[in-house]
Amino acid sequence: MSAAASVIRLEDAGGATVLLETSRALPLVSISIGLKTGSLVDAPGKDGSTRLLSRLMRRTAGGLEPQVIDTRIDSLGASLSADVAHSTMIFQATVISRSLNAFVDLLVDVLARPGLATAELERLQRETLAELKDSLDDDRSLARRFFRRRFFGAHPYGRSVSGTPKTVPEISASDVADVFKRSFVRDNLIFAFSGDLDAQRASQIARRISEALPSGPAPVDDTPEPAAVPGRRLIIVDKPERTQTQILIGCLGSHPRDHDHVALLVANTIFGGTFTARMTQEVRSKRGWSYGAYSNMPFDRRRQSFSMWTFPKADDAGPCLKLELDMLHDLREQGVTKAELSWAKRYMIRSHCFAIDTAAKRVGLELDQTLYDLPKDYYAQYLERVQAVTLEQANQAVQNRLSEENLLITVVGTESAMGNAVRDSVSNLASTEVVAFDSAD
Amino acid sequence: MSSSASKQREKRLSELNAGATPDGQVTHLETVAFGPSLAVERFRFGNGLELLFCEDHSAPVIAYHTWFRVGSRHEREGKTGLAHLFEHLMFNEVEGRKAGEFDRKLEEAGAESNASTWLDFTQYNVSIPKDQLPLVVKLESERMSRLVLRDPQVKSEKEVVANERRYRVDDDVEGAVSELLWATAFENHAYRWPTIGWMKDIEGFTTEDCLEFYRTYYAPNNAVLVIVGDVAEAALLKRLSTAYGALPASTLPIEDVRPEPPQLAERRVEVSKPTATEKLVVGYHSPAMGDFDHPALSLLAEVLFSGRASRLHQKLVRELELATEVRAFVGPFRDPGLFELFVSAREGTNAEQLLEVIDAEFARVQAEPISAEEIARAAARLELGLLAGLETVDGKASTLGFYEIVLGRPGAAFERLDTTRRVTASDLLRVARRYLLPRYRSVILVRPDLSAGADDAEAAQ
Repeated sequence: MSAAASVIRLEDAGGATVLLETSRALPLVSISIGLKTGSLVDAPGKDGSTRLLSRLMRRTAGGLEPQVIDTRIDSLGASLSADVAHSTMIFQATVISRSLNAFVDLLVDVLARPGLATAELERLQRETLAELKDSLDDDRSLARRFFRRRFFGAHPYGRSVSGTPKTVPEISASDVADVFKRSFVRDNLIFAFSGDLDAQRASQIARRISEALPSGPAPVDDTPEPAAVPGRRLIIVDKPERTQTQILIGCLGSHPRDHDHVALLVANTIFGGTFTARMTQEVRSKRGWSYGAYSNMPFDRRRQSFSMWTFPKADDAGPCLKLELDMLHDLREQGVTKAELSWAKRYMIRSHCFAIDTAAKRVGLELDQTLYDLPKDYYAQYLERVQAVTLEQANQAVQNRLSEENLLITVVGTESAMGNAVRDSVSNLASTEVVAFDSAD
Repeated sequence: MSSSASKQREKRLSELNAGATPDGQVTHLETVAFGPSLAVERFRFGNGLELLFCEDHSAPVIAYHTWFRVGSRHEREGKTGLAHLFEHLMFNEVEGRKAGEFDRKLEEAGAESNASTWLDFTQYNVSIPKDQLPLVVKLESERMSRLVLRDPQVKSEKEVVANERRYRVDDDVEGAVSELLWATAFENHAYRWPTIGWMKDIEGFTTEDCLEFYRTYYAPNNAVLVIVGDVAEAALLKRLSTAYGALPASTLPIEDVRPEPPQLAERRVEVSKPTATEKLVVGYHSPAMGDFDHPALSLLAEVLFSGRASRLHQKLVRELELATEVRAFVGPFRDPGLFELFVSAREGTNAEQLLEVIDAEFARVQAEPISAEEIARAAARLELGLLAGLETVDGKASTLGFYEIVLGRPGAAFERLDTTRRVTASDLLRVARRYLLPRYRSVILVRPDLSAGADDAEAAQ
């Protein structure tokens, strides 16, 4: 079933999955081409291969020079980027509709005929290493990186999509070519079109790209379910001269296929999902400790984390962390209230209109549903499922899914300014680790 | 609009005004084209409140923006950041409603709401499902005149803003250096202090400061409502007239604007920051957004810095491999601002090397005409950027509001696109020779230093 009735699946596109919603509101066409594989196909020790491939394809389409390609894209009034995640890769293009034909010529070259020149790969590797160095400036990104690495550990989800200073130089031209060969097969691609084009044109474009690729099935995603690591673990990521900290607290979350996933989403909305949720009220509104205070539950094909995020100043890091742990405890012990549940359901149901207020968003939901193997009716039945959640189900989901015992706490900041207070604020710590901010491997 | 439709509107307004307070009476001022297919209606209420309305049935939602003609430029030394702090306080208590109720009610209605403050304005935006219009009209009109400010809320919000400043400036190399650049480049104009304010000023605000600011600037005759979405004009006007018609206009102060004197020599500052590589930040004094030269200079910035095909990306990132990132931005402000550029060096490269390459490229655009192909390419990028920003009702309202406040012409985004398409190689030579001169620039050289005590972000204060 479609995420929105206005999105259609085209049947005459040479076997490829093609989603379309025509909209003549603006002279723009959006094209998303999703692959059901992402960086999890990177060979061991070669983290970052898929992301390098996606960038290299854009730079070497049809054996052209990168400058020629970039110039052509800009001249057409188009944009083209690739977003690589652990389980998926999406090429996202937008083009002014008068340039659609010329842009599609280029897109076919990007997706089916990339040159993958070795010299360009080497240049890209140097660029990537420099970007990794630059990313050390971003404390929030550091917190996420250390959190993910330690949270998933040896599980494939713990690997870096971008690669690391250690793995990027190890990636060879044959590694990249191998990822291309495995990933770019007909049955691994899903096309999502929206905007100023009709079904016939969308089918033609999808068929043209599909037919330029070898036939073959999508690689099987046999990633195991991640398991919770026992105990409360604390990692302090030490960075000099920080006035503030970045705190991430997380445990294993849920998956849309779990029977209680929507109930947990409702509970999360109450706890930290909005500007008036409990976290913002307690941390920001009452105490002024952090500009933002939220919890979230991302999804992938296997379970991801449930995490809480705040960024208090160094002096408040200990008390803020303690408050968050107390709030998590209270959520598990006391649950959410009937009034909170009614409010959250109204919010989620009424605000859903903003998830589907453009053709591109509606097609995007359908693409996500297909790419991530979500239940067939996940978005079509979403509002009914939210409405049906009972108080007992919401609180049971919290009890079943969220853990106070098996928690990872990551704090980025200057250890000498907050380390003791942070350690003292967490009871029953199984392990504490202090690492340098530039030590990410 | 056909003459019969126009007459129908006149009749409707006449009926509406017959039952309205003098402040709630509404006049239709003009119809403004907004791109090829949309139109914006401009109305004014008796109390001076302006309304820009664009009926758009593409989705069952409404964007409801309130733009106030007050930004950080209206502050004074010692009280910097007040406009921004006040933006935060607007989400607090209103007479008859306890603190937090505003947001809680909006979220319950399914609304998305936010706000922003910049040099020239403060704007509040709410996007709502179409059936929730009565609620947002009530809440927004209430907080325009009946906000309650108490010491505990002001104290707590000051702490939130201080934390926002730590996040965006003190612990962020780029934020800190941009602030230093503006404080170096401007000596007289109010653009020299950051919108978020200096930390010592944030810490020093009193409840009385906030009340005085509210009484001075938050009045219907200093605001523009921008409403885009799935609602009929007649129903909307009736509701707005009732809600806002009870609010009196106030006497607005004349802005004590202090033009920036011409800069006569390059200013250069060197700072150490806890960052991995050197950074170069440069600001050239640039024209106000309404200036004839602004579109041409913006196009030149696009040619030089925007996208992977731009000249300085090609030169610095690709060919010489000296940088990881290059960016530039011509300030879109009411008064002259800065052509601000940012470059992040690769390890082993110093900021002076980056500046040398930029200087050589600037010398080239001052000597040789830019090709028609490059000009067309940059214009296509700008066109794509404009169109992509108009997909949602919120994007349309943001564009209308911004151009109304800065240029006084809500449809100016499309006018500007037409102007950009007419920019010639000669125009680009002119603006390159007029503005990209070393004597008009301030240069910040950022040295990496990861040892304790390296950060000297407050150097410019």
